[in-house]
Amino acid sequence: MSSPHPSLVRRLCSTVEFKLILAWLAVVVATILLDPGHTYLKNPGAAAELIIRNTVLLGLFALGSAVIIISGGIDLSSGSMIAMSATVFGSLLVLVDPEGFKAGELSTLAICIATIGSLLSGAMVGTLHAWLITCVGLPPFIATLATLVGLRSFSRGLTQAVMQGKSQIDFPDAGLREIIKSVTNVSIVFVIAAIVIWLLMSRTVIGRHLHAMGGNEQAAKLSGIRTERLKWLAYVIGSVTASIVGIVYFADTGSAKPDTLARGYELNAIAASVIGGCSLQGGVGTIFGTVLGCLFLRTIIDAVNKIVGTGADVYEGMIVGIVVVMAVTFSQRGSSSARREFFGTTIGWAAIPVLSLLAGVSFMLFFRDKPWFTASYPFVFGVVVAAILIVRGVSEIRQKRVS
Amino acid sequence: MDPVISIRNVGKQFGAVRALNSVSFDVEAGELHAVMGENGAGKSTLMKILSGVIGDFEGELLLRGKSLHFASTRDAERAGISIIHQELNLVEQLSVAANVFLGRESRSWLGILNQREMDRRAAGLLAELDTNISPRALVGTLRVGDQQLVEIAKALSLQSDILIMDEPTSALTESEVARLYRVIDKLRARGVTILYISHKMDEVFRLADRITVLRDGQFVQTVNRIETTPRAIAHLMVGRDIEPRRKDQTASDSTVMLETRNLSLPWPGHSRGWRLQNVSLQLRRGEILGIAGLMGAGRTELLECLFGASELPPQGEILIEGQRRHFGHPSQAMQAGIAMVTEDRKRLGLFAHMSVRENITMCSLSDLATVGMIAHRREHAAAVSQIKSMSVKTDGPEARITTLSGGNQQKCIIGRCMLTNPKVLLLDDPTRGVDIGAKAELYLLMERLASEGMAIIVTSSELPELLTVSDRILVLSEGVLTGEFTRAEATEQRIMEAATKAQR
Repeated sequence: MSSPHPSLVRRLCSTVEFKLILAWLAVVVATILLDPGHTYLKNPGAAAELIIRNTVLLGLFALGSAVIIISGGIDLSSGSMIAMSATVFGSLLVLVDPEGFKAGELSTLAICIATIGSLLSGAMVGTLHAWLITCVGLPPFIATLATLVGLRSFSRGLTQAVMQGKSQIDFPDAGLREIIKSVTNVSIVFVIAAIVIWLLMSRTVIGRHLHAMGGNEQAAKLSGIRTERLKWLAYVIGSVTASIVGIVYFADTGSAKPDTLARGYELNAIAASVIGGCSLQGGVGTIFGTVLGCLFLRTIIDAVNKIVGTGADVYEGMIVGIVVVMAVTFSQRGSSSARREFFGTTIGWAAIPVLSLLAGVSFMLFFRDKPWFTASYPFVFGVVVAAILIVRGVSEIRQKRVS
Repeated sequence: MDPVISIRNVGKQFGAVRALNSVSFDVEAGELHAVMGENGAGKSTLMKILSGVIGDFEGELLLRGKSLHFASTRDAERAGISIIHQELNLVEQLSVAANVFLGRESRSWLGILNQREMDRRAAGLLAELDTNISPRALVGTLRVGDQQLVEIAKALSLQSDILIMDEPTSALTESEVARLYRVIDKLRARGVTILYISHKMDEVFRLADRITVLRDGQFVQTVNRIETTPRAIAHLMVGRDIEPRRKDQTASDSTVMLETRNLSLPWPGHSRGWRLQNVSLQLRRGEILGIAGLMGAGRTELLECLFGASELPPQGEILIEGQRRHFGHPSQAMQAGIAMVTEDRKRLGLFAHMSVRENITMCSLSDLATVGMIAHRREHAAAVSQIKSMSVKTDGPEARITTLSGGNQQKCIIGRCMLTNPKVLLLDDPTRGVDIGAKAELYLLMERLASEGMAIIVTSSELPELLTVSDRILVLSEGVLTGEFTRAEATEQRIMEAATKAQR
């Protein structure tokens, strides 16, 4: 065990946030070295803008996701909430100001009504979640699984009704679109949201109570904490942040297509929170960590884009998956992960061919178009990975014998 | 003859707590060897080591002269040792037979479960135990006493010749206890060696051949039952004569702080229908009121009703300082000046992921905040003041609560209650899992609070403890008040009689 009073520096160094910053710097340096196009050096402004834009868009609703996870819940519906918010926004524009919608010049009133309506729809979905969880008694996973499927379908129906059979709403006002999608504006909104939520979680009574409830709900209730109201707040924050993102995405993509818009994004938000140090058991996690988690995740996706080249967005899911596994593995408390047997057991040995095959095939997928690529490289790479893992497995068994 | 089990210098450390310290003694073949000691003496830890639940410990275990090291309960079972846990280890959703053969199911040649064979064999085992439990009944539908017999049948099916029973009677009714005694006699006739953990004198003196006493994780002595007396054993367990500690003059004045009139708590779907029935009591300023009763008698439920934490709303009246109150949520009870320390500290009290400071200030944050923002200096000061006044041993307010010993965690939770400035303090088995030294401190603390005018209700699973701290003791049996004793009248004998009084 470490000494009871580790110095401030050592305490800072052992935080998830510090490790994430180091990992992020490593990724940036690696990209600078490995990127054949040298984008980060040649055009740092554009590269930074791209990463910031992606980080901010993910971050806005990952903040809500983090609040829910820290409070001991989970929200699987944020991707669908984004789609629904975009749909509601577009629908209200059509309904309130049909002339302006056709002409491409919206009245301020219509924009205000649409914005408020869209945010309100988020608050209502959050309330629905809280009701399903606290009053009906569903587990959060089930409640938000229902809305994950339901909201998207609802949005498609709404779109068809409003657009007379069409399955998408195009963004009508080019000027407004530019304002909403501008990286600066979105970043400002994000920074404000992040600061407000950070203050809420780390400085206020409500935030402390959310942490307490996430760690031990029964004890929180017996401490006189109104857990149902806190849950309502957490789920409303989660859905409202997602609905803000919905409006931005609507402007960003230029159309609200509820069947595909932001599909699967809820998992990215959960992944970013987890990478940032939130525990799915609840009670543990910080807002700053979550923001860094988003930045790290988007940077590493960008890095693979740069290094592998075109079409790398196909591999986004793989990257997110690998990063989540690595982040959680390495952030487990030192002692338990050091003693953990990764490959020394029966299942461990069974995993080695799986991992080696995965490594070999991924190598082929990533680099098959490179000029230096030959068919033997993936095999060599797979065998090397297998050899490393076998060595690790053998050494684990040895260590176990010794102790 | 060689001893069946030799325990040699066995020790175990849990974090900051030394649960066992170099314990050595022998168990002879075929005897019923009782292991006694107060809560926290290390009995259960030792039994967990013997049965393979705890794999890493210091020292050595010899089984019939051979050194053994169990990595899991399976290893222990293979060596012929089974344990009947205090909290039973059964899958409630499965049938009796499925539980008996869990992990060792009989299979036909295709690998398909041979249900009939298992039912038949389970029925045979249960018949040996003189019960008519159906092997097809779901375990969850059985009474605790019957579930225990299922565990014993499981041990028999493993051909275990060493059986560890960890406080087997703690949840049983009198008739179930009598049946268990008969089963134990049968097992002994078969030559089974039994290690029997208990802190109940009468049981041990009825059953045991030899008695080993542990205290604070240390081995004290092994004695032959016929050569000793309960009094001598009690002396060994506590390490001193249990001194009558408090001046008998009661500090309580006549102001009634809390009163209940015909408080009842329904229990839908249960044959009894009520968890609590027509409980009327009065609690005065400066008084310590003890609530005695067996497990399931309704002690915890009573406190939960008073704290607005019961699952269903109670019926009847609760009066705080003469005013009728209704609590739908603990926060309302807290506002009315009631604080509660829960029974299951880990599950219902602690925020294990938080610091000592955060744990102490959890209930009083709104007083330590301005417009919702926590004032750090005031919070820190509040935490430090409670650490001092409860004399909590900690590295400071920022230490993680889990680095503290059970007793100190409990003091933090009492400190948490004190910060809400309560008038009535409800303590549900506050010394559970607390070592003896800290227990004494908690007793002193209760007395100090009472002398300062706090009205306290305390429950305990240990009668001597209640007799020590309470000014007055109420006894619950199956949800009904069956006795009231002043300190002068109360004896263990009279309380037990009231606690086991059958209802209806």
